[in-house]
Amino acid sequence: MAGAADCGSVKMAEAERSAETLKEKANNYFKEKDYENAIKYYSEAVELNPDNAIYYGNRSLAYLRTECYGYALADATLALELDKNYIKGYYRRATSNMALGKFKAALKDYETVVKVRPNDKDAKLKYQECSKIVKQKAFERAIASDELKRSVVDSLDIESMTIEDEYLGPKLEEGGKITLKFMKEMMGWFKDQKKLHRKCAYQILVQVKEVLSKLPSLVEITLKETEKITICGDTHGQYYDLLNIFELNGLPSETNPYLFNGDFVDRGSFSVEVILTLFGFKLLFPDCFYLLRGNHETDNMNQMYGFEGEVKAKYTAQMFELFSEVFQWLPLAQSINGKVLVMHGGLFSEDGVTLDDIRKINRNRQPPDSGPMCDLLWSDPQALDGRSVSKRGVSCQFGPDVTKRFLEQNQLDYIIRSHEMKSEGYEVTHNGQCITVFSAPNYCDQMGNKGAYIHLKGSDLKPEFHQFAAVPHPNVKPMAYANSLMQMGMM
Amino acid sequence: MATRQPFTSSDTADEAVRATCDDASTCKRFATSKGYWKDPYIQYFVRQSGERKAPEISRGYYARVHGVNRLLDGFLRKTTCNCQVINLGAGLDTTFWRLKEANLLPKKYFEVDFSVIVARKLHNIKTKPPLSNPIVATHSTDLLLMDGHSLDSDRYCIIGADLRDLPALEEKLKKCHLDTKLPTLFVSECVLVYMTLEQSSSLVKWVADTFDTAMFINYEQVNMADRFGQIMIENLQRRQCNLAGVEVCRSLESQKDRFLLAGWEKADALDMMTVYNILPQDDVGRIEQLEFLDERELLQQLLQHYCICWATKDKLSLGLLDVTF
Repeated sequence: MAGAADCGSVKMAEAERSAETLKEKANNYFKEKDYENAIKYYSEAVELNPDNAIYYGNRSLAYLRTECYGYALADATLALELDKNYIKGYYRRATSNMALGKFKAALKDYETVVKVRPNDKDAKLKYQECSKIVKQKAFERAIASDELKRSVVDSLDIESMTIEDEYLGPKLEEGGKITLKFMKEMMGWFKDQKKLHRKCAYQILVQVKEVLSKLPSLVEITLKETEKITICGDTHGQYYDLLNIFELNGLPSETNPYLFNGDFVDRGSFSVEVILTLFGFKLLFPDCFYLLRGNHETDNMNQMYGFEGEVKAKYTAQMFELFSEVFQWLPLAQSINGKVLVMHGGLFSEDGVTLDDIRKINRNRQPPDSGPMCDLLWSDPQALDGRSVSKRGVSCQFGPDVTKRFLEQNQLDYIIRSHEMKSEGYEVTHNGQCITVFSAPNYCDQMGNKGAYIHLKGSDLKPEFHQFAAVPHPNVKPMAYANSLMQMGMM
Repeated sequence: MATRQPFTSSDTADEAVRATCDDASTCKRFATSKGYWKDPYIQYFVRQSGERKAPEISRGYYARVHGVNRLLDGFLRKTTCNCQVINLGAGLDTTFWRLKEANLLPKKYFEVDFSVIVARKLHNIKTKPPLSNPIVATHSTDLLLMDGHSLDSDRYCIIGADLRDLPALEEKLKKCHLDTKLPTLFVSECVLVYMTLEQSSSLVKWVADTFDTAMFINYEQVNMADRFGQIMIENLQRRQCNLAGVEVCRSLESQKDRFLLAGWEKADALDMMTVYNILPQDDVGRIEQLEFLDERELLQQLLQHYCICWATKDKLSLGLLDVTF
């Protein structure tokens, strides 16, 4: 008659046998390339016998085949924890790490395998391949930090670009110097839906990249008592509404300075016209025409929301790459008289960020997924105190207390930001300490909102709001160049 | 023999409607690849394209899939699966496999779509064991009755038919052993809107006349009388796609009325923004972290122009009214 201990070990043996059967079943599914079922039965095997490294190893391979690299990595690691000598485990872990781009980690595991199996040709091969990749990546990093990374500018030969006789549009003089005459001509040319010659476009881009790259990430300006500035929010490719702003508020000049607070492109289908106009004015009036970067002056957004498509349609992919480089040099914030801070998105996911921190941001890049540079482009104010996770999926929402603390710490009066459509074109929140201004009226031809801009006088720095309505535009729908399904909704 | 009304279908218009099957499939494929929800079967129907879809589109499909499933699963539970489900215009939908895995299969699951689409779906099923195995597993014999045009297995039936030809549709369903006495759920997602009012009313009325205990879930556009609606209609027209039945998409009221006037007892409707906010918010919070949304107002606008409308008639007094959000 079996005793209690025997019962236990009998049960164990039974469980192990059942687990083995399940593993066999899973292996069969694996052979048939039915990875979902393979995973299912490996998992059942694991439940009956959680100490068998092979089950995890096999499941890891099934996960690799279904591109679930995170799960594959976890299983390979578990397998190795159970059995340090399970060579396949190292292989699986290395493969997962390779797929996840973690080449250094992968190299370590390949190294282990080679040590244990010095005669294994395949192991050696994989180790060498991985080693090459690690070296290559290190090399690339080294070049990037030396800023010797090749720019589109290096491969352009603007001088030899010829302008055909048939082109009747605006041209830049020798040397590419922008004049007011050129700007007026170009704006009229754009209004008639005509295209600026690519040589001129390149000349503008190359020059504005130079100018922007010399600016700090935090631009600091002083308005004298008698001076004023007009601050505009998102314009999003709505060229005809931009022209209307200049109608209502006057063209930019030394006595009529402007600050455009990001999101110049995407969604509206005249983004090229908007951005070339704004860049032209930046070159014409570098010390009284200001541009800040918005979250749409980034590759991800341009890819989805139309700007990349528009540039490729009107010009070339190479020109889009140059736009992308130029966008990376746009400053991230601007302070006016040390009292008003302007940025596209908003404040930070953590307390304690200072103006000096902003100054020091290395901005010549795509924004990271988190951190001050990301927050400056992406965050939103909220009514409640504290911070919340943003519904946008990135950065945060910050409350009036966050704004108050930031302003106090940096001796500022209030912030002006954009980034959110407002039906009245602007909104004052956080007890007057956080102002939103949005300058794309009837956003996307469908929101019916007003646009607004802000007048700021050097004498009192009190914001004065001016609203305006949308004006008609030629029949090119918003998002005309975007990924086509964007405009359709759900089908 | 009675002469059937010949109906002329404009080939271009129908082609454009069939193309929406690809829209839905590629958007769902993208969304699942990003982790919005799990669908291990969709990869067998549609390859991943390099094209990114905007976050608001993925969130929209998330709300659609979860909204419809909530009601669908509710109906299955209420009837303890002693029922039938018929998905009209199902396209490459993977619900059968989801229900099989969750042990929530109705007595029989039917799908109807244009023959061209059905042929495509059947080809994928035939050539991919992960799709065919679960069907074979629910079938009494090892052989599936599947030609190029239809599938009739014990639990899963896929029929090629034109939803505007009701007599033909009814005949084909009956051939696949449709039981009009069983509680039956009809589902249509962006289907009725492509038919004229007359055609969709006939369909909806036919269901009400034929089944005593039934539910109809309809997902499609709503609040279309505004600017957004106008723009959508224009955009689709450029693709030769006509929203022939868009008048009923005027408001939640008109969506409900189409059922009430056709003999359904009760009807309810919610726009997708409301649905989005009713769905379990921890999971909604999770998906909001997946991709960056560039303008929340636009998501709201998008969601407010789609709705789920569900109608019931409950002769067996199963308590179908309890199936809700």
